[in-house]
Amino acid sequence: MARTSRTPTATEPVREAAGRAGPDIADPGLAEAGNVRIEWARGAMPVLGLIGERFAAEQPLRGLTVAACLHVTAETAVLLRALRDGGARVLLAASNPLSTQDDTAAALADGGIGVFARAGVDRATYYAHIRRALEPGPDLVIDDGGDLVAALHADLPGLVANVRGGCESTTTGVIRLRQMAAAGALAFPVVAVNDTEAKRMVDNGCGTGQSVIDGILRATNTLLAGKTVVVAGFGACGQSIASRARGLGAQVIVTEIDPVRALGAVLQGFRVLPMRAAAELGEAFVTATGSRDVITGEHMAVMRDGALLANAGHFDVEIDVRALDGLAAGVRREVRPHADEYVRGDGRRLLLLAEGRVVNLVAAEGHPAAVMDVSFGIQALALGWVASAAGSLAARVHEVPGSIDAEVARLKLASLDTQIDTLTPDQREYLASWQRGS
Amino acid sequence: MPAQTVPFKVADLSLATFGRKEIQLAEHEMPGLMAVRAEYKASQPLRGARVTGSLHMTIQTAVLIETLAALGARVRWASCNIFSTQDHAAAAVVVGPDGTPDEPRGIPVFAWKGETLEEYWWCTDQALTWDGQSGPNMILDDGGDATLLVHKGAEYEQAGAVPSAAGDDPAEWRVILDLLRRSLAGQPGRWTALAAGVRGVTEETTTGVHRLYERAAAGTLLFPAINVNDSVTKSKFDNKYGTRHSLIDGLNRATDVLIGGKTAVICGYGDVGKGCAESLRGQGARVVVTEIDPICALQAAMDGFQVATLDDVVSHADIFVSATGNRDVITATHMGRMKHQAIVGNIGHFDNEIDMAGLAGVAGITRVNVKPQVDQWVFPDGHSVIILSEGRLLNLGNATGHPSFVMSNSFTNQVIAQVELFTKTDKYSLGVHTLAKHLDEKVARLHLDALGVRLTRLTKEQADYIGVPVDGPYKPDTYRY
Repeated sequence: MARTSRTPTATEPVREAAGRAGPDIADPGLAEAGNVRIEWARGAMPVLGLIGERFAAEQPLRGLTVAACLHVTAETAVLLRALRDGGARVLLAASNPLSTQDDTAAALADGGIGVFARAGVDRATYYAHIRRALEPGPDLVIDDGGDLVAALHADLPGLVANVRGGCESTTTGVIRLRQMAAAGALAFPVVAVNDTEAKRMVDNGCGTGQSVIDGILRATNTLLAGKTVVVAGFGACGQSIASRARGLGAQVIVTEIDPVRALGAVLQGFRVLPMRAAAELGEAFVTATGSRDVITGEHMAVMRDGALLANAGHFDVEIDVRALDGLAAGVRREVRPHADEYVRGDGRRLLLLAEGRVVNLVAAEGHPAAVMDVSFGIQALALGWVASAAGSLAARVHEVPGSIDAEVARLKLASLDTQIDTLTPDQREYLASWQRGS
Repeated sequence: MPAQTVPFKVADLSLATFGRKEIQLAEHEMPGLMAVRAEYKASQPLRGARVTGSLHMTIQTAVLIETLAALGARVRWASCNIFSTQDHAAAAVVVGPDGTPDEPRGIPVFAWKGETLEEYWWCTDQALTWDGQSGPNMILDDGGDATLLVHKGAEYEQAGAVPSAAGDDPAEWRVILDLLRRSLAGQPGRWTALAAGVRGVTEETTTGVHRLYERAAAGTLLFPAINVNDSVTKSKFDNKYGTRHSLIDGLNRATDVLIGGKTAVICGYGDVGKGCAESLRGQGARVVVTEIDPICALQAAMDGFQVATLDDVVSHADIFVSATGNRDVITATHMGRMKHQAIVGNIGHFDNEIDMAGLAGVAGITRVNVKPQVDQWVFPDGHSVIILSEGRLLNLGNATGHPSFVMSNSFTNQVIAQVELFTKTDKYSLGVHTLAKHLDEKVARLHLDALGVRLTRLTKEQADYIGVPVDGPYKPDTYRY
């Protein structure tokens, strides 16, 4: 599941944008703490480390300016340092003011990256920061949700002609860009780095499973062994959550709407039930569908006393929190951090985690750095590809070339000291020929 | 020297060549037994032992039998289950490595696959019969049938008569009583003399051990016993890892149904049930456990299994396996409520876990034999259940039981127990004993090399720190592994 990108809403108060000179960060004095945090992340990001070394030697981005709009976190910092080492001038605005780590921002600014990000800024400052990252006139852009590319086209059209291309990190952003391209409004090629085979495997397949469990445990400290855990949705995320819950000794029930996935769950030994039936049995519920109204008031009404509700999907619409409000006779907020207890009329309680928002990011720390390592490794190589191949790429959304995905997987394997086999020429010929049967 | 005639009754001696090939394969997979052969080759500690064995006559057992012989013992063997004999194994043991089917030079075996109850107890009787001797001086038992026959014979000789069977006694009990009645008439005092000559019994399995402790508590045990079952390298390995392997094998050979996606009910979550549950889950089944013991039930729940009563789930599960060691676990009423073509099997030692008599007694029920050890029982309403191995242990009846490596652990314990009891008879009082911890550890040690295991060795300082000798034993007897 991609990192959240909650943009400030129009109803939030507008305040004066920050001044124009220099970077805009909360406190330059935090640089040392930020460096410690970035170093820690870098230790878990060997792929970017290897790419950074290669970039430093080959200088693929020499003389180019990169404007990025990303979560200002330690993992992002490792990516941007690799780009800088590759010869780029790098500018960064936050893709979500709530996720900005001020110490990371300070460390990046200290290292010569133009940072425009402070935690908790209002909507106007958020957009002002994006504009400031764009103003030097980028050759390449990196976006996370599409706000930077949209602002570039709408507010700074004079800079568009200079842009060779860019990357987009999220599904939401890719959908926006495809609409722009369809309308003929997209002026340069953009690579959709959100959905490669390697990224899905590591991100949805490992990162989500681990961090969702982490979020539930941090929020509740509940023992999962022996618990009945209901996982709604058996896509990559749901499968990953279900198998990890089982590994911890939970009895896992899966709900699905897709017969193929439901069959997959059954064949893996999971009990598959409609949510209405599962609602009566579950002690913990985790939604991972991407859909809305997965757990409704009707379900909540029949749940057991003490059942806990968590959402792993991108948006907070999978659990009908409003229905829960309506159902409850009372609410005890923050019985633990990120856990609200709703008490029904008959005294039975339901525990809602993270207000129904994505539990792995709110109650835990989102994906581990090793997961972001693969995503950002793809991002870095894709950016290098756009920089060199831009002349031959149409102004639309492009998939990541399979060779880049394979290269990142290869680097990850190298970092794990795992060797694999290579096809022999005879094998290549055999696989390529249709004449030979048995 | 003229070839000595080997007494035997097996299915077909011409299967011996095949059996010998499989024995040679198994020897490689049974490093513990082969190590024991090498260790005792010179000292021959079982010289003078007359061992009667009652234990599934499989390829692995053949390696056990020939190990006992290699240590100097004379051996006579019967199987401990009417279906568990591998006829090629029985043939190969009788023929021996140096004999031919026309001139067998091996060890007397009385066993074939598919004995009647009368034949089964005749075989047991034959294994206990030693020409010119009162009987064996050692018994190696699995389930306690040989021990039972000796004890009951002696008991009835003491009483002066064999009682009549009661109306509701199982058919098998009548067979035993008839055999003993004939024996008391033809050879009065035989069992009393036989029992007096036995130095001890080593018992292989939970059920037999249970019988021994009952006898010891009642004061009716006639000779010392070593409980091999409760060696850690037996019960934890054979019961768990062995059944984990062979349950699936039996189900597949019997039915070839896809296990993934099925709901499977395991009755009992002891060591055997744990192995069964793990393997079925590994195949993608949804496993439900039934238990009567709150500790095992809690363990199952903590391992992520649904724990329910059989009544709760009987009407919607696809596969039922009893692994309790108890009786009447799956009743005819249960089977009447099962889904059409639900598969019902037992992996516990005896055939009373599934109420086969009750099933046969259902008015209007018919039995359709699908193939050996697989029967479809059709209820009057048209639905049917598939019963494996007539309710006897399906991993042996439908497959080939535990694999060699697992049995090497169990049987190395058996051989060490036989040597202990035979050579240190005075050390073992009348009662039920377990093997000392260091012998258990020795059995494990003998199997490590074959798996490429590199064991870490305690330093003297470390050993002192936790208060154990550098070379073991490492754990107190109460340690549960």
